[in-house]
Amino acid sequence: MNAGDSPADDLTPAERRLTEHLELLRASPPIVAPGLVPRVLRGVRWQRAIRDPLVLVGAVAAAVAEGLSALFKPPAGRS
Amino acid sequence: MLVGPQSMEPDDTLIARTLDGELAAFEQLVERHREIVFRVAARIVGTDDAEDISQDTFLRAFHRLDQYRGTASFRTWLLQIAQNTALNALAWARRRPTDTASEPPEMADRDPIRQPAMELERRERQQRLEFKLTALRPEYRSLLVLRDLEGLSYDEIAEVLEMPLGSVKGRLYRARGELIELLRNNTYDWELPA
Repeated sequence: MNAGDSPADDLTPAERRLTEHLELLRASPPIVAPGLVPRVLRGVRWQRAIRDPLVLVGAVAAAVAEGLSALFKPPAGRS
Repeated sequence: MLVGPQSMEPDDTLIARTLDGELAAFEQLVERHREIVFRVAARIVGTDDAEDISQDTFLRAFHRLDQYRGTASFRTWLLQIAQNTALNALAWARRRPTDTASEPPEMADRDPIRQPAMELERRERQQRLEFKLTALRPEYRSLLVLRDLEGLSYDEIAEVLEMPLGSVKGRLYRARGELIELLRNNTYDWELPA
């Protein structure tokens, strides 16, 4: 806990007891699986590889949609 | 994995190198922060889903790295992504019908010959406490995890949760109160004074 916070952190007796109980959880933190880092990096590589083609496909689709909407838009001034 | 002086580089340098396309720099950032991200995720969503949440957190961080402004520490920024990802996962899970357990699951090993009684009791109390923590509403749970388990300062928590300092303190008070009530309404005696 940040020492600088303690003056503002006046705990009631019940809160103090709760903090003691929580020490049990602090003392036994969940252990991170060793495979996490390689898994993250695999995900990054894979997503980075498909990001640029996807952005390109998106841009092409947007351009096509814009072209089609311009083609089928009624001429201005016609009621 | 890089070791030696390079691994002591500050986060900001590693971020800049990652933005220049160096995946090895991002790997160091993941190595450096994986434990706290995993712990926070595990305390909010449970250990079974914590790895997925941690992976999502780092992937999101990677893709948004150019949006990191450096106003808060990188760790705070990561925890913000982690706790949002975890809360979203919980909200998604709540929308799906599941069996809600009313009691903590049985301990894996209750054989008194293989485990001394005190260790058994310690593990049982820990398991009960973890179970009660999951009974808290998710917003309160993440607040308690950040403050009382991870020891973040109020300022850091305000950054992570994107709320004013006063709200952090008020909610933390209510979160602790709710957990105390949950423990008092338990058959197990937690010896909590009135």
